[in-house]
Amino acid sequence: MYRILPYGILFAATALLQIFLFNQLSVSIYLCPLVYVAFVLLLPLELPHALVLLGGLASGAVMDWTMGTAGINTAATVLLAFLRPHVLRLLCRRDDAREEGVPSVERLGKAVFLNYLAVLVLIHHALFFALESLSGQYLLQTILRTIVSGTATVGFCWLIARLFTSKLSVRI
Amino acid sequence: MYKLFEFIRSVHVVLLFVLIEGAAIHFYAHSTSFTQARLLTGSNRIAGGVHGFFSGIRRYFTLGRENRILLDRIATLEEQLAGYRAAGDSLLFARYMEGADKGPYRLVTARAISNSVNRSRNFITLDKGRRDGVVPDMAVLSADGAMVGYVATCSDRYAVAVSALNTSFRASGKIAGSDYFGSIHWDGTDRNTVTMTELSKYASPEPGDEVVSTGYSLYFPADVPIGRVESAELNENKTSYTVRIRLAADMTALGDVILVENRGLDELQSLQEP
Repeated sequence: MYRILPYGILFAATALLQIFLFNQLSVSIYLCPLVYVAFVLLLPLELPHALVLLGGLASGAVMDWTMGTAGINTAATVLLAFLRPHVLRLLCRRDDAREEGVPSVERLGKAVFLNYLAVLVLIHHALFFALESLSGQYLLQTILRTIVSGTATVGFCWLIARLFTSKLSVRI
Repeated sequence: MYKLFEFIRSVHVVLLFVLIEGAAIHFYAHSTSFTQARLLTGSNRIAGGVHGFFSGIRRYFTLGRENRILLDRIATLEEQLAGYRAAGDSLLFARYMEGADKGPYRLVTARAISNSVNRSRNFITLDKGRRDGVVPDMAVLSADGAMVGYVATCSDRYAVAVSALNTSFRASGKIAGSDYFGSIHWDGTDRNTVTMTELSKYASPEPGDEVVSTGYSLYFPADVPIGRVESAELNENKTSYTVRIRLAADMTALGDVILVENRGLDELQSLQEP
């Protein structure tokens, strides 16, 4: 129905990048980018909301399994998938968000697309790191981890989006 | 009935969201670091080979350093061996060596193929499993013999160890040369230091003092180096010290590791069970 093959490749590519590259980073405790969220962020705009949720569930569950995080990737990614249409509606003009296509710079404009990435990635990372530390004791550390890792993730998602949409026409 | 279906249809997204989110958080709330290690063990059946490939490439860059450490270690052991030979009667020495494979500890070497250090619950994946004689609860030591973690679960070809940089890791340590001990854990902030609490106020730890394991812990043999005291302060009611310890093992550059099995562990555990 939709472009199953490109999205299949995107799912596998983001998962492999996360497992074999970003999970192995040992630069700093604050740098832990969760780049696999690019898959959910780039799902087509017209995809039914329930399917977006299931997409989030699939990528979150795979990450939980390979990172050994027991549920927090799923929780964070499903929250992101749930909020995605609402954030889009807030950021875009009404008719823009209803139309079809892949979320991208060409489709939404530079500023809106960057805001879209930043808002959703920050929400995702905040929930992930908060659940991971599960204590108010390291609040400052959790906030710092969210911001540093989130910024890195937004950058990488931007790159992935550029690569992904360069091969596809933006409107499906 | 029709109205019910209509209602469910109108809220199905929210319903689905709440269900998945609830299930995920429920699973996380009931998970222990053992559950997490088991998940990793499962996924390593597939990803382990690729991790092994990449770590093989990374390994070439640390070969020089590892070689130096090994040579240092051999030099120290040779020195000790020479000492034993000189001191003891050669018959006595032969008798010692006879029992070496029945001693209290069994050693296996392995390689760390995947090691996270940027989360609050970190695990190390090792390239040896049940097939190579690795069993859960073995201590993991770095190539130069410092404390690194302990094995939580293993599959046939891989094992997953709880890293010392895991907030649920616990060990007991003491200041070398004294009998004052405390309990060691990681607070999730700095990758080079762990915290020792409940160290007696009479211990008077000084920066630079060596900290070693006590042997009270089920996993680690006695006198395994843990690190050196970096700073120490008395707690609020002045009953015990809280000590920051700089780890002896470099957790960000783990290559080869030594696994130690305590042969008496089963017996100890069955004794300690109520």
